[in-house]
Amino acid sequence: MLNRRTFLSHAGLATAALAIPEALRAGSGPADWRLALADVPGDIATRRLRRVHGRAPAALKGTLYRNGPARFRRGGSASGHWFDGDGMIRAWEIDDGDARLAARFVDTPKRRLEEARGAMVVPGFGTPAGPDVPVSSSDDTNAANTSVMMAGGKLLALWEAGSATEVDPRTLATLGQKSFSPELKHMPFLAHPRIEPDGRIWNLGLSGRSALVWRLSASGALEASQIVPLPRASYMHDFTATARHLVIVLQPWLQDRMGLPYVDSLTWRPERGTQVMVIDKADLTRSRIFELPAFAFFHLGDAWEEADGTIRFDGCLEADPSFGSTAARAMVAGVHIDTPHPALTMIALHPGGRATLTSSGIMAEFPRCDPRQAGLPRTRTVHVGGYIKGAPFAHAVGVWDWAKERDDAYDFGARQLVEEFVPHDRWLVGTTINLDARATELHVLDAANVARGPLVTWRANVALPYGFHGNFVSA
Amino acid sequence: MFRLLAAAAILACAAPAAAAPLTFAFTGIETPKGAILMSVYDSEEAFDRGGKPLVSQMVAVAGTSVEIVADLPPGRYAVKAFHDIDGDGKMGTNPFGIPLEPFAFSNDAVGDMGPAKWTAAAFDFDAATPRHAIKIR
Repeated sequence: MLNRRTFLSHAGLATAALAIPEALRAGSGPADWRLALADVPGDIATRRLRRVHGRAPAALKGTLYRNGPARFRRGGSASGHWFDGDGMIRAWEIDDGDARLAARFVDTPKRRLEEARGAMVVPGFGTPAGPDVPVSSSDDTNAANTSVMMAGGKLLALWEAGSATEVDPRTLATLGQKSFSPELKHMPFLAHPRIEPDGRIWNLGLSGRSALVWRLSASGALEASQIVPLPRASYMHDFTATARHLVIVLQPWLQDRMGLPYVDSLTWRPERGTQVMVIDKADLTRSRIFELPAFAFFHLGDAWEEADGTIRFDGCLEADPSFGSTAARAMVAGVHIDTPHPALTMIALHPGGRATLTSSGIMAEFPRCDPRQAGLPRTRTVHVGGYIKGAPFAHAVGVWDWAKERDDAYDFGARQLVEEFVPHDRWLVGTTINLDARATELHVLDAANVARGPLVTWRANVALPYGFHGNFVSA
Repeated sequence: MFRLLAAAAILACAAPAAAAPLTFAFTGIETPKGAILMSVYDSEEAFDRGGKPLVSQMVAVAGTSVEIVADLPPGRYAVKAFHDIDGDGKMGTNPFGIPLEPFAFSNDAVGDMGPAKWTAAAFDFDAATPRHAIKIR
C-alpha cells in the first residue's frame, strides 16, 4: 500500500537534498553531522534563547524536557556505542513568548567513576568493561540517558537496563536512583512507559526470558508488580499497550549468551520470525502469542483495539538490527555506515490468530502519539524522517495519517538534524541541530499543518548532541 | 636412625596439615547491625559452580568492621561473604537475582555481572600470612 503521492513527495525532498552542490557546503565537511556526537564538557547554565523566526502561541506554556547522551570521550578513551554516553537532561522552557534552556548531566555512579578515572571504563550496551570496574548491578553501569517522565512532582531520567533516576525538575539536580519499593531495588525500568489517558503508568523491566510488569499510579507510586515469563530472550527497547492489553513485540534479536558489552550477547536469527505477546492488563497470566515475519525495531506507536478484538499499532521497523549492532557503534568514532532505515508500518493482530504488516511507504523514526488518546483508536503518528544517503539522522518532521494515507511533513533541509518532536495539545514541539549555526534550535509547529513549517523558532548559543526522547510538561 | 628420619618425614608431612588461625578482617560496613556471613572454599569447582564450602561462619556486626577467625590448614582458599543486614540468614536479592545486601570476595575480587571467579578470589594461606583483609561493598 505504498502511497503514490507520499512516495513522490518524499522522493522529491530526497532529490532536492541530494541536489545541493558540494560547493554550497564549503567550510562544512561532509561529516559535520559529527557535531551530533560532540562532547559537552559540563552543565549548561540557564540562558535565554534568541527568537529567529515567528511567534510563540500565547497558550503554549511549559517545559520540553529531553534526555540524551552528551559525553562520550575521556582521556583518550571513548564509549563503544552511541547509547553509552552520559545522560544530560535538557529543559527547554517556553513562557509568554520567550524560551530558555538549561541542561545538566545526570550524576550517575557510572559518570562519577569515569570522572575519577579520567577514562570511559564502565561497560554498557556496546562498551567493553575497563580493568577493575566493580559492577554489582546494572545500576553501576546506568547511563540515565534515554528519556524522561514526570511523576509525583519528580522528573525521572529513564534508561532501560536499570533504575530510573530522580531529578529535581526545577534545578535538574540529581536526587538519586529510584526504588519503587525496597524489594525492587535495581530492577530495570524501560525508557518507554505507556501512560493511560488518566495517568496510570505501565512499564516493563527485562532480564532474559523474564519481564517485570510495573504498574504505577499517576503520581508515580507503585500499585503492583509481577514477573511474567516470555517465550524468548529478545532485545527490547519499547513495548506498547491498548486500553486493556500490554503488547510485547519480541524481535528475533536474541540473547543467546551472557557477557559484556550487552550487544555482543545478541544474535540476529531472522529464521525465528518476530513474535508478539499480548497480555491482559487485568490478569497478567492470560496471554496470546502472534507470529510475524522477522523485523528489527526500537520504537512503537500506541496501540488500540477495535470492536471485533483486532489490535492495531504502528512501529518503525528495520530489515535487520545492523543500525544498533554496528552503525551506532561506529558513529562515536565519526564513521557513518549505511544501514536499513526504519519503515513506518502498521501491525494488525486479528482475533483469529493471524497477524499482518502494512507499510506506510515512508521511512520514519521516533513515533509519538497524542497522549490524550493513548490506548484508544487513532489515525495519526508524529515522526521524524527525511533521511539522506551517506549520513545518519533525520531532516524532516511529519504527521502520518493512516486513514488518509498521507504525510503532512516539513523538511528542515540537509543542514538541520531533526530530533524527536512531541505532540502537545495542538502543537508539535521539538529541537534540531543547525549545522551551519552550530547551535541547537527549538521549534513549535502546528500539528494540523506541519508542512507550513515552524510557527516559531528559537536558537540557543550552544549545540547540544543529538538526543533521544523527551516529554512536554505544562506549566 | 632410619626410624628417626622416617618419623621426622611423617612430622614434616603432617605439619602443613595442622590447622592455624586465619583472621579475616572485614571493613567498609555501612549499616551497624545484622551479621557478616562468610563461606571459605578450598576448590575452584565448589567456588565457581555453587558447591559446598569447606567452612561457614557468622559474626554479629556492631560497628564498621568485624574480624572472623577461621582455623584452616595452610593452602589455597577463596571466600564469599555478605552482610546480612535484615538478619534473615539469606543474601537479599531482587526478583532478577541482583544482590540487595552488601557482599564481597577474598582479594576484593569483583565479578563481571555475577560472582567473582576462583581465579580472581583465590589466595594462599600459610603461617607468614595469617590475616586477609576484605572490603564489604
